Amino acid sequence: MSSKLDSRKLRLGAFLAVMGPGIIAGLSDDDPAGITTYSQLGAQFGYQLLWTLGIATIALILFQDLGSRIGVVTRQGLIGLIRQKYGARSGMLSASALVIANIGTMTAEFAGIAAAGNLFGISKYLTVPIAAFVVSFLVLRGSFARVEKVFFLLASVFISYVIAGFMAKPDWGAAATGLFVPSMPLTQEALFIATATLGTTLAPWGLAFIQSYAVDKRLTKEDLKLLRVDVWTGSLLTGIIGFFVVITCAATLNVSGQTSITDASQAAEALKPLAGTLAKELFALGLIGAALLAASILPLSTAYAVTDLTGRPAALDDKAHEAPLFYATFGAITVVAATLVLIPGAPLIRILVLTQILNAVLLLPLLLYMFGIARDSRLMGEYRASNRMVAIYSVIIALIFICVTTLLWLTIAG
Amino acid sequence: MTKTAARAKSAVFTRKGIQSTLVSVAGIIGCPVKDQDGRDLGKLVDFVVRHGGETYPPVSGLIVKVAGRRAYIDGARIAKLTKDEITLSSAKVNLSDYQRRTGEQLLDGDVLDHQIVDVNGLRVVRTSDLYLAPLDKEIRLVGVDVSFRSFIRRIFPGNFGRKPGVDQIIDWASVASLADDGGVVRTTATREALSKLRPADIADIIEDLEGREQSALIELLDPDLAADALEEMEDDELQGLLRGISDERAAELLSHMEPDESAEVLRDLDEEHSESILAQMAPAMAKQLRRLVEFDETHAGGIMTTHLLIVKESDLVSDALQLLVDNRERDISDGVTVVDSKGKLLDHIQIIELIAAKPSQKLETLVKAPFPTAVSIDTSLDDVIEEFSNNRGSSVIVVDEKGKPVGRILADDIIDAMVPAESSGLAQGTGALS
Repeated sequence: MSSKLDSRKLRLGAFLAVMGPGIIAGLSDDDPAGITTYSQLGAQFGYQLLWTLGIATIALILFQDLGSRIGVVTRQGLIGLIRQKYGARSGMLSASALVIANIGTMTAEFAGIAAAGNLFGISKYLTVPIAAFVVSFLVLRGSFARVEKVFFLLASVFISYVIAGFMAKPDWGAAATGLFVPSMPLTQEALFIATATLGTTLAPWGLAFIQSYAVDKRLTKEDLKLLRVDVWTGSLLTGIIGFFVVITCAATLNVSGQTSITDASQAAEALKPLAGTLAKELFALGLIGAALLAASILPLSTAYAVTDLTGRPAALDDKAHEAPLFYATFGAITVVAATLVLIPGAPLIRILVLTQILNAVLLLPLLLYMFGIARDSRLMGEYRASNRMVAIYSVIIALIFICVTTLLWLTIAG
Repeated sequence: MTKTAARAKSAVFTRKGIQSTLVSVAGIIGCPVKDQDGRDLGKLVDFVVRHGGETYPPVSGLIVKVAGRRAYIDGARIAKLTKDEITLSSAKVNLSDYQRRTGEQLLDGDVLDHQIVDVNGLRVVRTSDLYLAPLDKEIRLVGVDVSFRSFIRRIFPGNFGRKPGVDQIIDWASVASLADDGGVVRTTATREALSKLRPADIADIIEDLEGREQSALIELLDPDLAADALEEMEDDELQGLLRGISDERAAELLSHMEPDESAEVLRDLDEEHSESILAQMAPAMAKQLRRLVEFDETHAGGIMTTHLLIVKESDLVSDALQLLVDNRERDISDGVTVVDSKGKLLDHIQIIELIAAKPSQKLETLVKAPFPTAVSIDTSLDDVIEEFSNNRGSSVIVVDEKGKPVGRILADDIIDAMVPAESSGLAQGTGALS
């Protein structure tokens, strides 16, 4: 019993038990919208703007870490805490904005699935309903533990981006320079893509999700150390996958002059002549995995938020008749989003742009609420944020504020 | 929701006229506070209540925003309270910022939109509104509203936001508010109400509660009831709970649980934590539990309960019956274990045999076949199960190396020992599939 191997095994077992919130919430941020943005970053600017991805990853680490910690310490979801600390109107407003933004984002995920299916020559009238059914079936029928395993399985699809990255034979030296030496062409496009990178990596629904998920997983303060490892791992992986998407596009599309990419599936298509059919298929496969993961998380994040707002928190292990609102919300989000994608002539592009704006606008108040909760000693007790962390959070929030206002200004003015 | 309607009719809500005097706390926060001449003093920030064991706590003070400060105004100076205005009997205001004192609770800051336990509905809910009413010469907190409709109503400005939804009100006496400044709100009424619940229901409520509220509820419960509830909880929930409460309280609760259940809990905790809990226990109890913890669950010693009702062969039937009556709360009280003068196991006598005998009879006269099945502490679980199925008895007695009875294994202990292994096997099976 006292051998080193056993204790190491024990520790690994303990970590595997805690693992989940950070990895799942983090990787779901690499959704089709994220992959599109990273593809554009690489195709348009090569390796030059990789450093913005680095900053986005740091911000992701910090706030996912904070969100999971708030969840574990208070055992409440973000929306419930906002209602409790900031009042009924703040709670209602945040929840409503989150629901609308999540419907839009969910539509984007289904659009991603439709586009990726197209690459394999499968019609969206087949892929989208199947995806909606798979996602609902998984979450509605499975226990928490089983659902989590499927999430991990979906997340493992992201490895295809790493392989595609190597196949593209990137210039590693230039990639390292781009990652660690910040430089910025002072053009509107560069500004837009840099802010979009930050905005797509740190998403409101991800923040709401990680907190509720940590509560649902019933993690305790004893698990906080291991949870931190999980969050760091998840956020770093998110950044690393983004990195490989960027260098894949930088080494191929940017070099060959195909700089104007409008979505990730187009990037995949453009990869084919440059890096081979396999690279294209890996890219498309990653896109499907990314979309499915995010499409499972989004309705879940919304359902947690809605039940949290009403004050009757629900859990994945609850049966449908025990938590009707939870499952109704889940179903409604999925059905509405899938329908929007399938209706011929629906203003899909407009929906996606408006969603991006709403997500950006919503991000700021959510971060400020989290900031306020983190400093509340009545809620956080000994886990209250230290002065140093408060300063760091302030810097990141200020940076995001600048990015969000720039993004809004560019989107609306442009 | 006939249940809600029935609830609203209880206690104070049956008093005539009280419904028309209800003031919505959510509605009046932010409204003007005026002096006796009707001049604005400031805006209402919060109500302060003190819990002194009263069912309907009186408002002991107001927090009013005056000239940028959060001033405290004593509750005795409230002359008039309407749904959108408070009039004071004087204009004097002490301008120092309010500092919370122990035992004080802020209605907006600590209760509104916080989680509470609805004892009648057996659930954890968030408060949507609170209601005040004049009662027994003071303004008191009388009702709480947990409906989503009332929550939505508060989103709207003006008078609509202040209108109490009378049919949605739950009597304050039937809820346990767990949010206060670290101490515990002890309303006699809620304690009583809680004590009427089944342990399994309390376990459900505990599992639904979050963080600080969870440990606050545990503090509120009578230790025996709390211990019974803990026995009903899921293992991992219980572990989390024990980490959240003090070692003293954990020791107290574990002492009140059945020793075999406590030992099982302690076995799952990390060693440091379980030692610090054991250190807080009475030495005899700690010693007993330490021994139990060492046995693992694959042996008789690890699954037995150490609660035995031991009587000597020279004792009378009436003594044995009295012992059973004294221990009627425990599920092992189906008979007594008889030992000889050296403490060795002789027989297990069922309660029905005792009732059939004369009270003045000595127990030795009842010692006869069939004798109980006895196993030693290190008998393996499989062998114990075999003994059970061979003898078809309701229990086996565990004896030490000298033949003295040290515990008993009941049929349900066997089931407990077998079920976790079974269900985890199933979980692995499904895991491989997915």
